[in-house]
Amino acid sequence: MSKPKTIIDLTAMVAGQGGDGSLTVISILTELLARRGYHLFTSRNVASRIKGGLAAATMRGSVARRGCLGDSFDLLVAFDQEAIDLNGHLVADDGVVIYDASDGPLDRTSLAEAVKVIEVPFGRYAVRDLRRDLFKNSLSFGVISRLLGIAQDEAQDCLTHALRRLPPRLLEPNVRAFRFGLDFADEVGLGLGQGPWCVDRVAREEQLLINGNDALAFGFMAAGGRFYAGYPITPATEILEFLQKHLPARGGIALQAEDELAAVNMAIGAAMTGTRAMTGSSSPGYSLMQEGIVHAGSAEIPLVIVDSQRSGPSTGMPTKPEQSDLDMMVFGGNGEFPRIVLAPGGPKDCFDLAVTATNLAQRLQCPVIIALDQAVAQDARTIPYFDLEAVEAEPGVRLDAAGLSKMAAYGRYQITDSGVSPWAVPGTPGGMNLITGNERNEWGLVSTKPDVRQAMAEKRMRKIAALGDDLPLGQRFGDDGAEVGILGIGMQTGVMDEAVARLQVSGIAVAGLQPRTLWPVPQETLAFIAKRRRVVVVEHNVEGQLRRLLMGAGANGDRLGSVRKYNGTPFGPSELVAALLSDPAFADNVAEMGIVA
Amino acid sequence: MTRTFDHTNTIWCAGCGHFGVRNTLVSALRDLEVPPHETMVLAGIGCSGTIQNNVEAYGYHALHGRVLPAALGVALTNPHLTIIAAGGDGDGYAIGAGHLVHTFKRNPAMVYLLMNNAVYGLTKGQDSPTAAPSHEAAEQGMDGISLGLALPGTTFLARAFTGAPEQMDRLMRAALIHSQQGRGFAFLEILSPCVTYNDTYADWAGRVVDLEADDRYDRFDRAKAFGRVHEVSEGGGIPTGLVFEGDGTDMAARIMVKGTVAPAHQPTDVDAHLDGYRDLMAEYAV
Ligand SMILES: Cc1ncc(C[n+]2csc(CCOP(=O)(O)OP(=O)(O)O)c2C)c(N)n1
Ligand code: SF4
Ligand SMILES: [Mg+2]
Repeated sequence: MSKPKTIIDLTAMVAGQGGDGSLTVISILTELLARRGYHLFTSRNVASRIKGGLAAATMRGSVARRGCLGDSFDLLVAFDQEAIDLNGHLVADDGVVIYDASDGPLDRTSLAEAVKVIEVPFGRYAVRDLRRDLFKNSLSFGVISRLLGIAQDEAQDCLTHALRRLPPRLLEPNVRAFRFGLDFADEVGLGLGQGPWCVDRVAREEQLLINGNDALAFGFMAAGGRFYAGYPITPATEILEFLQKHLPARGGIALQAEDELAAVNMAIGAAMTGTRAMTGSSSPGYSLMQEGIVHAGSAEIPLVIVDSQRSGPSTGMPTKPEQSDLDMMVFGGNGEFPRIVLAPGGPKDCFDLAVTATNLAQRLQCPVIIALDQAVAQDARTIPYFDLEAVEAEPGVRLDAAGLSKMAAYGRYQITDSGVSPWAVPGTPGGMNLITGNERNEWGLVSTKPDVRQAMAEKRMRKIAALGDDLPLGQRFGDDGAEVGILGIGMQTGVMDEAVARLQVSGIAVAGLQPRTLWPVPQETLAFIAKRRRVVVVEHNVEGQLRRLLMGAGANGDRLGSVRKYNGTPFGPSELVAALLSDPAFADNVAEMGIVA
Repeated sequence: MTRTFDHTNTIWCAGCGHFGVRNTLVSALRDLEVPPHETMVLAGIGCSGTIQNNVEAYGYHALHGRVLPAALGVALTNPHLTIIAAGGDGDGYAIGAGHLVHTFKRNPAMVYLLMNNAVYGLTKGQDSPTAAPSHEAAEQGMDGISLGLALPGTTFLARAFTGAPEQMDRLMRAALIHSQQGRGFAFLEILSPCVTYNDTYADWAGRVVDLEADDRYDRFDRAKAFGRVHEVSEGGGIPTGLVFEGDGTDMAARIMVKGTVAPAHQPTDVDAHLDGYRDLMAEYAV
């Protein structure tokens, strides 16, 4: 047996029948690698293709910080043949498969020749008084700990920590199952140190392992957000659940509405009292909210709206990521009104941009939209602690009784240079005013006079102009001096980062940009494109909506390549590298620079 | 004094029932000494949906059918305000009917004035859900009070008629007091004829039956109230009065931890909860 290889980058999948909670191996493995100082990335349902409830959980543990899964799975734990049939081709050539052989031997057609298969006859072990799914997970983890060369004490400690919420009567049999796993490993020649891998021990500061939805909800709350209304929908529900759990203790309210129309209008009502308010949904629900979003834009009500995009059209593929609502978020709704669309690329961005969005909504008194996609929303990864002390809540232009008493007259929609009108919220003595979505005069009284209309339309739009470039900047990767570039938002962020780094290693200089402000298209984004001969836009939709948006904002379309995917799975790093190199102009420019890929 | 919007200009046709509703609301607010700055009138879209322009208070013009969820957002985040939601029969019984059902269930402290003229006034005369059904009609009528009686959470269900101003005045005050006392959602449908597209004054005047005029009527008995409403309606009458009154607590009081400052008045700075946020962050530590 050859010497174990130190595995500094491990991508693993656990797949089988069953819902959340049954795929516990991933959380135990996560605990183990976290203790060894690895960075983590976890994703729930990259491969949860339907049929009888097949579910998969995936993770990547790596010494370097990564924002996506690796190209292939080093380890696949498959609780049935279907899991192998669907995912076998994704296993690395030198990967390992742990298979539940209770129902017979494995058909390994979909696996590469060299893949090592460990068939575990789970059925042979007693399962009385425990939950069978948990038991299988604990037993598998015993085997995995041997594959990774982890001593029993350390492994068992991780197991008991990961399962600490279980009652003792369930925990004890799981520890037994874990030991069955060790015994079984001994039987098949996988004693300690006989496995293919060993795990490094690296120093890293304590970090957060959090997904985008939770981080976003946290950021909203930290920025003083005190009202949220939503209607359950994948993959946005966690925002509602997080806030229902954590807002009440902080004097806030999160409400499950009867539908999305109610949700957005409840949030509008809350916003009118001066409460920082947000609503959120996923694509079909967001499309129902549009009337309310437009209304907030017209009536000048500060509101944050989240779209955790899933695959469309219509009910589409609820658990799959897509970026096909960009047109809807940027252009959707009737009429014209000021709006801002921000696009986080991971949990840290989600926290930061939720703070920014909450403040911008107050400052501009208009809707601010946060564009998530299922991957950003639900994938978790290790990030540094949030910088809570840096969070500031901007008050916006409010009027109190003292301020009002100095004014001869006060109307809600006073024409100003910035386009933002001072605002007295209900309860302010002497500040009685009218809010409406109809065109109106400065009093808030309905008016269709041509000059009033024109002045009001221009006033609203001035809010964006007055903002200038005071919007969140993007994240850069690679070599900013490079002639070729890559540009993408949201779920593309981590993969672009890694693809650019890989190209760099092979001597190809690429500049990368993840714009954090999608609308208005910032000067920064246009300058990034203007500076290079070719920029490939990476996105998850059929029509190339992001590329079209950039062209509409003035980017030269001849320079913009397009790489798109819309099959419900994210790009992997090598897949993206290959896609970039297959863009002829990208490849030409790379060749011209004298570097051959 | 800072001058604010002029609330005297109405847009209604002479003789429109909505005048009566407005005047009654204004006098009830004045007599109950509700300060204008602590009052918010939210209205839907329709002729009825301009009432907020004619009351000295904070006013909001909602989307068509969405006045109740918007009013709920206000009621939960600033329960200190006296909240009056208003709108037409199209607004509340057609496009916004779903929200009415859920507002009945939630029982938030507010008054809802549903100004029923059995027609779409603003869009010039189309049938509304309460339009009198002819025998060839594709749809039967709609009754918000029976609907409210059918749901266990309701606490105040009443109907007034602009042709009976004393009763309307009494019910308006009762509704405001019900909501101010934190007992919940006061639903007051007001028969408010549209003289231009559906002049029902004479017809309705001949059909209204004040249930409370009968000493034996027990407005606290839901089942009996339902029976009486059914009986009167079957006989071609329109039941009015405070049809049902029940015990209840306003939603905000139910969901907020007792003694907490309302969301609208919570501090927004991060320092106010810094320790709690740190503890929460620690739950994600690895
Ligand atoms: C979403 C939407 N659909 C349709 C309309 C057009 N609309 C305006 S008012 C109205 C009906 C008004 O009838 P009602 O609510 O009974 O009020 P009334 O005018 O009779 O007081 C309609 C359909 C609209 N404003 N918004
Ligand atoms: S159209 Fe009818 S409801 Fe509208 S103002 Fe005139 S009378 Fe009143
Ligand atoms: Mg009507």
